[in-house]
Amino acid sequence: MSYIDVLREAKDLVTPGMSACQGCGGELILRTVLKVAGENTIIGIPPGCMAGAGVVGWNYANGLQIPVHIPLLDNTASFLTGLSQMYQRKGRPDVNIIALAGDGATADCGFQSLSAAAERNEKMLYICYDNEGYMNTGYQRSSTTTKGSRTSTTPIGSVINGKQQQQKYLPLIISMHNVEYCATASPSHMADFVAKVQKGLAASKKGFAYLHVFSPCPTGWVYPPEQAIAMARKAVQSNLFPLWEMDGEGYHLNYENKNPMPMTEFVKGIGKFKNLTEEDIASIQTAAEQRYRLLERICG
Amino acid sequence: MTERNHITPIGDEGIYVLDTASWRVFRPVMDKEKCIECGMCLAYCPVNAVRGTEEKKYYITYDYCKGCGICAEECPKKAIDMVPEGGRE
Repeated sequence: MSYIDVLREAKDLVTPGMSACQGCGGELILRTVLKVAGENTIIGIPPGCMAGAGVVGWNYANGLQIPVHIPLLDNTASFLTGLSQMYQRKGRPDVNIIALAGDGATADCGFQSLSAAAERNEKMLYICYDNEGYMNTGYQRSSTTTKGSRTSTTPIGSVINGKQQQQKYLPLIISMHNVEYCATASPSHMADFVAKVQKGLAASKKGFAYLHVFSPCPTGWVYPPEQAIAMARKAVQSNLFPLWEMDGEGYHLNYENKNPMPMTEFVKGIGKFKNLTEEDIASIQTAAEQRYRLLERICG
Repeated sequence: MTERNHITPIGDEGIYVLDTASWRVFRPVMDKEKCIECGMCLAYCPVNAVRGTEEKKYYITYDYCKGCGICAEECPKKAIDMVPEGGRE
């Protein structure tokens, strides 16, 4: 059964009218994950775009068709730990326990509980949709924001020119917790993404599974909404967001890219990068190349 | 505000939905002649407005389509056109 058949035949468990922006990557990720996971699922969504768009009926106008919890920004993984433990003890290990958190709730605020749950190898699938910032409060910088990005806390002005630091590469950090499964995925490579959600769900029955998904954001990054998938594809092709996975057999690169697209091509047309200098682009390029070389050596 | 089919932890009135179709400025229109039934539009639609039958016939529903234009952009055969809403066809 190909991934298109999976997506076509599956029931959509998300409310049809949801207040996510036009062309939202997060909404696509939420719907795809729940189509693959099915109804035997409990999901925890910390504050962020997907919670703010109203998956729990925030304004009594929206919702999911499965049980959904909004924990705090910083306790998603520990909240789901309790839920997962309870379901194991009640003899229901078949229930999919999923977290769908933004990069802020994963890499910044929620990092300590995530790290602890990963180290204890709790049985859940933790999915991070990485839109590189706190989007639902107006795009503040996060630790996964790309260098040079214009955000509301790192504006472009006479003192600084966008974010000054390189992004933190979270998936490798989580994979070093000896988790059951860890992977990166992009909605532009949908076959790979669907397969990784399926693998992650299978691995979450044995231990901790982590999926880091690239999520383009038209509103925060300032580009036309129809370009969303093209942006995600360019991020993969330019090696800014390499696709790899770590399972029981070790690390594998899923998209070997010998001739990456130059970073000048990726930043073109994205409003948050419009003030980048040549040095900024070169420094993003160097960071992406170093990261890709490291991954090549790890994946061997 | 009437249906009570689903269970959510809060809000015992059930689930209501937003009229996201009213956001639409451009309407995607599929040219069935050009369609090769690959299903890319269905895979990439963030709103699940593109549906498919078991015979792999794909069609667009307009009840909740936000008009983002991803389907038209990603269609490998350019079989989907974005036409202005309420204007000339």
